Amino acid sequence: MVPIQYNLRSLWVRKVTTIATAAGVALVVFVFGAALMLSAGVQKAMSISGREDTAIVLRDGSEAELPSSFSADLVNIIRDRPEVKQGDGDGAVGEVVLVLTVDVTDGSGISNVMLRGVPPESYRFRPEVKIVSGRMPTPGTNEAIVGKAIVGRFVGVAEGKQFDVRNNRPLKVVGTFSAGGSSYESEVWTDVGVLRDSLGRPSVVSSARVRLNNKNDLQAFRTSLEADKRLGVDVLRETDYYEKQSEQTAGFLQGMGTMFAVLLSFAAMIFASITMNGAVANRTREIGTLRALGFSKLAILTSFLLEAIFLALVGGAVGTALVMVMGLFTFSTMNFQTFSEIVITFTATPEIVFNALFFSLIMGLIGGLAPAIRASRVSPIEAMRA
Amino acid sequence: MNLMTYARRNIFRRRGRTILTVLGVALTILIFSGMRTVVAAWEAGAEEARADRIASRHKNSIVMLLPKRYVDDVRAVPGVDSATYAVWFGSKDPKKRTEFFAGFAVDHESWFQVMDEFELAPAALEEWKRTPNGAVLGDLLAKTLEVKVGDRVTIQSDIYPGDWEFVVKGIYKPLRKTADRNSFIFRWDFLNNDPRGDVMRDQIGWVLSRIKDPTQSAAISKQIDTMFDQRDDQTLTQSERAFQLGWLGMFSSLLKAFDIVTLIILLVMALILANTIAMAVRERTHEYGVLRAIGFQPGHIVGFVLGEALLVGALGGLVGIVFTVLLINGVIGPAVEDGMGAWFPYFRAPFKVIAMAFGAATLAGVLAGAYPAWQASRRKVTDALRRID
Repeated sequence: MVPIQYNLRSLWVRKVTTIATAAGVALVVFVFGAALMLSAGVQKAMSISGREDTAIVLRDGSEAELPSSFSADLVNIIRDRPEVKQGDGDGAVGEVVLVLTVDVTDGSGISNVMLRGVPPESYRFRPEVKIVSGRMPTPGTNEAIVGKAIVGRFVGVAEGKQFDVRNNRPLKVVGTFSAGGSSYESEVWTDVGVLRDSLGRPSVVSSARVRLNNKNDLQAFRTSLEADKRLGVDVLRETDYYEKQSEQTAGFLQGMGTMFAVLLSFAAMIFASITMNGAVANRTREIGTLRALGFSKLAILTSFLLEAIFLALVGGAVGTALVMVMGLFTFSTMNFQTFSEIVITFTATPEIVFNALFFSLIMGLIGGLAPAIRASRVSPIEAMRA
Repeated sequence: MNLMTYARRNIFRRRGRTILTVLGVALTILIFSGMRTVVAAWEAGAEEARADRIASRHKNSIVMLLPKRYVDDVRAVPGVDSATYAVWFGSKDPKKRTEFFAGFAVDHESWFQVMDEFELAPAALEEWKRTPNGAVLGDLLAKTLEVKVGDRVTIQSDIYPGDWEFVVKGIYKPLRKTADRNSFIFRWDFLNNDPRGDVMRDQIGWVLSRIKDPTQSAAISKQIDTMFDQRDDQTLTQSERAFQLGWLGMFSSLLKAFDIVTLIILLVMALILANTIAMAVRERTHEYGVLRAIGFQPGHIVGFVLGEALLVGALGGLVGIVFTVLLINGVIGPAVEDGMGAWFPYFRAPFKVIAMAFGAATLAGVLAGAYPAWQASRRKVTDALRRID
């Protein structure tokens, strides 16, 4: 085998070309990685919103909370089921969900924010919700708290300010909350009763969240509830619900991003091919010498292939390192299911790092294959004569 | 032999490399055009928006409804020629032949009068007006749901429970390329009279008005909003264009991300070109030395190199455009319009994008050639001749 040292030095000699090619690969890997991180961010925000031992009850046929609605009395019926954890009224919580039109602070127009009307028990139901500044809203009043991901994005939706749910029905924001990085951090929460009154629909909820005694109780709970056609509800495990909610947005971001990255990777492969072809052409004499020294065709092929792979991997590593910096940024996008804005953090996972590097390796391998074969075919005698 | 001839002959000295470079540039141009076509298709709705139409919705939420009597108030506003209304019906196909289509209950008397970008046979329209459970479908949706006029069709909703049965009374065709061809339209009174319609009882989602003078659009919109300003349900009235732009605004960070990726694509293209030109110049250092020695000026060398770079870039651009027209306009576009018509009713690379693509390739060629050209021209004749690479 030809020492790898030979390849590294060769790359170094042709610095400009090496850097240009590696930069090309780095850019492609960057696009690829960014798309994956964004989609991972959506999935993360959504997946930590859901719990295995929690079920969500929606109106039969509604696939999300927003279009769903059923009688608030149902929540009490649900709470008495044997599968439901018995506590201080916090075994089942009925909530109202709404999207509100708000002005974007930067003056770029209007946007939608998700508003959730919750009973006081909801805060015990979701202990991850914590006030980071200001205070908790007083139950039964028009006070509201805002998720920390969207603070400052919308006019009026910030501590000490107020905004309308309906004409002369303002909500006063008294605090900011965190929720462990979940998608609740892109929502505004207020009292469910006050919200229902504002909407003029006092006896309706959008969904009920149910804490089960045991996560294995879901099937029994679902069967008993869905069997009763008069109730007209669907039961989903909360984790499954959020996975389905994020599917479309995450899928869109990932699909779009990887599609362009893969297309672009063909250009990068051509790029690597041009560079390696140039290297082979310039080193024909060297290759001839190596062959004359007794290195086999396979050794030459491997050597050039490794050089191409190394070149691409350097680019891949730079691209991956660059894309990790994106982890410091957030991205605000519309969630297709809720029509409201959700703020996503670019999220790095070990898989993404591996996939990005593997992607660059493939580019090097495919781009370097033809030139490497060409190099292995160099006839030692003719090469030395050239 | 002039500069261009020299440049042209030079690019064929390493035929394999030139072909690969042109292919690489062409590919990036194709991706560039693809990306810009997505953006253009997205924005097409706003660009094609009707200046003489305004839409009123609930001021506070897209899911809150307005009392139906608002329509009569709007119709009475001076300057409003005609008005119609609709309410969203979150439609689903029980047989899952499509993931998503728009369905709404509309005022059958006035809908097609205001929405005149759709063509519906007068006989079908009359028939629909006589049939309470009649439905009218866009031609693409009719194809997806495999129905024709006279068929029964069952759809479901994520808002209103149960199965909803209709009789297809007409299939409309678009008169403009961006007009939606995937909507399921049925009568508002049918939904309103159904016991399952209690969430919308006597309410509507939005009012669409045709105005007599498009220049009065802002004034009339304001007048409508003022009229309802003291009511519980206030309105937000916008021109169709502003409405579409507002919709785009919600995707603004996505569009920004597209811009960044576009920039990256162009950068990759420029790098490919720069690499090829730099390699060629390096190989010809000796030759440029000879040219200088026999009397060519540094300016000539710059011309040779830049000319070559420009030619390769332009060639790549041209091939890329051919790819774009064949692939995007020929294959992908019709497929997208067919499969994702609800999002992209019109998906073709517009001339603007093609011109931009060609310009970008040519410009990238010049930029890519600039540094090698300057370097080659600056090199001392003696150095250049000494170098044998």
